[in-house]
Amino acid sequence: MTTNTFPDVARIDAHDKVRGATRYASDDSRPGMLHATLACATIGRGSIQSIDTSAARALRGVRLVLTHAELSRLQPAGFLLAGGYGVQSLQPLTSPNIAYFGQPIALVVAETLEVALQAAALIRTAYAVEPHQMGLDAPEADIVAQQESPLPKPMFEDVHVGDADAVFAQAAVQIDATYASAVQHHNPMELLATVAEWSEGRLTIHEGTQNAEGVRHGVARQLGIPAEQVRVISPQVGGGFGQKNSLQGQTVLAAFAARALGHSVKLVVRRSQLFHASSFRAATRHRIRLGADHGGTMLAAIHETDAQTSRHDLFPSVNAEVSARLHGIANFRARERLVRTDTQTPGYMRAPFEHMACFAFESAVDELAQALGQDPVALRLANDTQRDPVTGKPLSSRHLAECLRRGAARFGWARRSMAPGSMQDAEGQLIGWGVAAGAYKAATAPAVARLRVYDDGTALASVGVHEMGQGIRTALAAALSRKLGIEPDQITLDIGDTNSTPQHITVGSWGTATAVPAAVEAADAMLSALAELLPGDAAGRSPAEILRAAGRRSLDVAIRRKAPGQPDAVFTRLATGLPAPLGPNYPDFVSFSYIAHFVEVRVEPTTRRIRVPRVVSVADCGRVISPRTAASQVRGGVVWGIGAALREASEVDPRYGGFLNADLADYVLPVNADIGDIEVEFIDRADPLVNAMGIKGLGEVAMVGVAAAIANAVHHATGIRLRDLPIRIEHLM
Amino acid sequence: MHDTIHHAAATDPAKQLQPTRRGIMIGAVAAPIIIGAAGEASGQAPGALGADAVAVRISVNGTQHDLLLDPRTSLLDLLRERLDLTGAKKGCDHGQCGACTVHLDGARVASCLTMAVQAVGRRVGTIEGVSAATGALHPMQQAFIDHDALQCGYCTPGQIMAAIACVQEGHATSPEQIREYMSGNICRCGAYVGIVAAIADAAPKMQAG
Repeated sequence: MTTNTFPDVARIDAHDKVRGATRYASDDSRPGMLHATLACATIGRGSIQSIDTSAARALRGVRLVLTHAELSRLQPAGFLLAGGYGVQSLQPLTSPNIAYFGQPIALVVAETLEVALQAAALIRTAYAVEPHQMGLDAPEADIVAQQESPLPKPMFEDVHVGDADAVFAQAAVQIDATYASAVQHHNPMELLATVAEWSEGRLTIHEGTQNAEGVRHGVARQLGIPAEQVRVISPQVGGGFGQKNSLQGQTVLAAFAARALGHSVKLVVRRSQLFHASSFRAATRHRIRLGADHGGTMLAAIHETDAQTSRHDLFPSVNAEVSARLHGIANFRARERLVRTDTQTPGYMRAPFEHMACFAFESAVDELAQALGQDPVALRLANDTQRDPVTGKPLSSRHLAECLRRGAARFGWARRSMAPGSMQDAEGQLIGWGVAAGAYKAATAPAVARLRVYDDGTALASVGVHEMGQGIRTALAAALSRKLGIEPDQITLDIGDTNSTPQHITVGSWGTATAVPAAVEAADAMLSALAELLPGDAAGRSPAEILRAAGRRSLDVAIRRKAPGQPDAVFTRLATGLPAPLGPNYPDFVSFSYIAHFVEVRVEPTTRRIRVPRVVSVADCGRVISPRTAASQVRGGVVWGIGAALREASEVDPRYGGFLNADLADYVLPVNADIGDIEVEFIDRADPLVNAMGIKGLGEVAMVGVAAAIANAVHHATGIRLRDLPIRIEHLM
Repeated sequence: MHDTIHHAAATDPAKQLQPTRRGIMIGAVAAPIIIGAAGEASGQAPGALGADAVAVRISVNGTQHDLLLDPRTSLLDLLRERLDLTGAKKGCDHGQCGACTVHLDGARVASCLTMAVQAVGRRVGTIEGVSAATGALHPMQQAFIDHDALQCGYCTPGQIMAAIACVQEGHATSPEQIREYMSGNICRCGAYVGIVAAIADAAPKMQAG
């Protein structure tokens, strides 16, 4: 059942990446390719009355200009969260209606990028403008109680365990506080880009996506052609973080233009356009009520959220899935509400709910520790649980207490003085030490894995998963190498290509727990098949030796695998590009990954500048398959937490709609000088239930709790409790 | 109750008031001496080029390219779209992210903010020219592997070009200095700890080599 630890080895695709040899979608630069660019709406809501493209069309080198007049017959692909494939239900350029600022209104295709950009700037549009609203303080008619909404239950049912209201009302110590966050944007370094080409009625799409199968089926539906005529290739994604989890608005535009022109078309969405072209992390507000007795036992909690959605879609909110599970609290009630705003539909961005849910809840726990006069690590340890508080089922594994203990030891937590403002360095900077816990569901998706070994000692493996920097290629190679005795660099990994195996959406930290056990099952099947080739004589021989002895050039196996308790119907969803994950609630257990973050901040006493010189993070993600890339992933999650806590906010324009700071100078991301030491440690203990490899998930839990640990450290440094993110120096003045 | 307003479609909604690239270019194009089309033109010569086209000779990684260019072409777009040197990446096209960093006469520049015609008569160095002809990696490339100073890899060529320049400038003498002088290159995956370690590791090896 359990596996041994894996060695620390280099990232398998790093050699190509450091040479600039890795090809991302927009690196396709074949001769004769045409260049496309978008023009976008400049009103917050309304409709196009007229659009004049004559000057653009007249420009030398312009080959095509498309507007809603040409594209109104595209079929809808549907919204990912409503049984479809799209990042939202709205496909730009299919109607004159403008739902939000920045919505694309025209596509220009030209022989060069320079001409395309010039032509797009020549398009003139007259609009009928309607009022728009962008904030959480919306009229009652724009507020949707999720419990009463059409969103499917029990998936999107409010958590309700025990009698939280009554117990909270009686609790000796009560915390009641509201926390909020601004809109944030993913901003992976790779821009959204589609290269579309047609050959004999078949469409090939090169696009960095986390969901090649969804893009394939979605585009096919939009164009009214069979999915068999569409191939989507995404072998390397230049960062996803949830942005590239579905069919984007630009993809079909490139495909349509390429078909109309009989030429391959490259469409790159510009950085400023990205702030409106894809999804974003919704603005949210969280009211937490937390009741405890004088000894520090947490008795009841109530978590109420308002989260932004669009006017045309309901993007569901599941904040309490994690906040109800962090600690062993017997009485818990959640209420999730959605607020309609005139934006594109918000979506999943790394730790989409968990980041803010845990910021709010773990800040409240820190406030409770303060009220009780208890150490915040000791308070969390005293409220640990090994049984899921929501369902009563056993947890497959939970080593959060060990994460807290090991992190505290490594950080030197015992040297912390309790009183806020009581620690300073030699230069008079205020020192604050904060802690927070995080959790993230351990989910699993179905997968098909194919494996071929050759008599020359090489192998070819295909499984449904996408590489976006998390290191899945390295993990797959490590696990297959151990099983087959073939060196990692002799194993070719064919992933992210719909021509190989079905490419299930890779999000929700389920990639490794989905793809690696499937690949290893295929390797087990291969070893059995090889043994049958040489009955009684295969032991001790390598796959290549067996093949040569048996006179075979190669041997193929294929397996399919699903999550514990899933019906076979999930394979139909897998084959048609629909999400089919399960977790954290499995039939017999509940499964989460956990992490503890310890953060030091230094606050400059006059300017109030906040620095984060060191972080210690200890993660329980089950068995670690690729220690080096996993540690990098945790460091990345910590950097994301620092950005979310101290830097990132998309500023809403209340006058014209949209987001104002739509570039990388004004949307402030963490840069190198913002980051100090980040020490990472893993419990590295195989989960006994969730899969045979003992893998849970890592990419998102890495970020969960970082922001709370920072805010708690800021409180410890200054005595000021800040409940709105991002925290800026002016909040400490 | 509809107001009707007319404006230009924002091709770049947040930047409507910025000068166009053509506007910036007018000042820049006067300076370089344009070499007449000599020898065989390399790269695709797009049919859209009109009377504004300029013939240039540009040296990239030691190879001369004779090209007919739209004078608005950025060095980044020239490298990527005409010369198939796609290691330099477009992350923002505004000089804000560093993914397009290349060397111009050995100094690091944002190639998205450098007009291609500005490279005439100068040496352009890209990630494709960093490894030895034998295929051996540059010490900085090896250090990026050893310290896992990357994840998705999209910003990596720009990080490495900036890192090599950072060392050559003498700005890699302490972790604090490396952090400061590498802050023009954003890594959204958050590989900064590895990047600092890689540069600290490679710097003495570069000087030794």
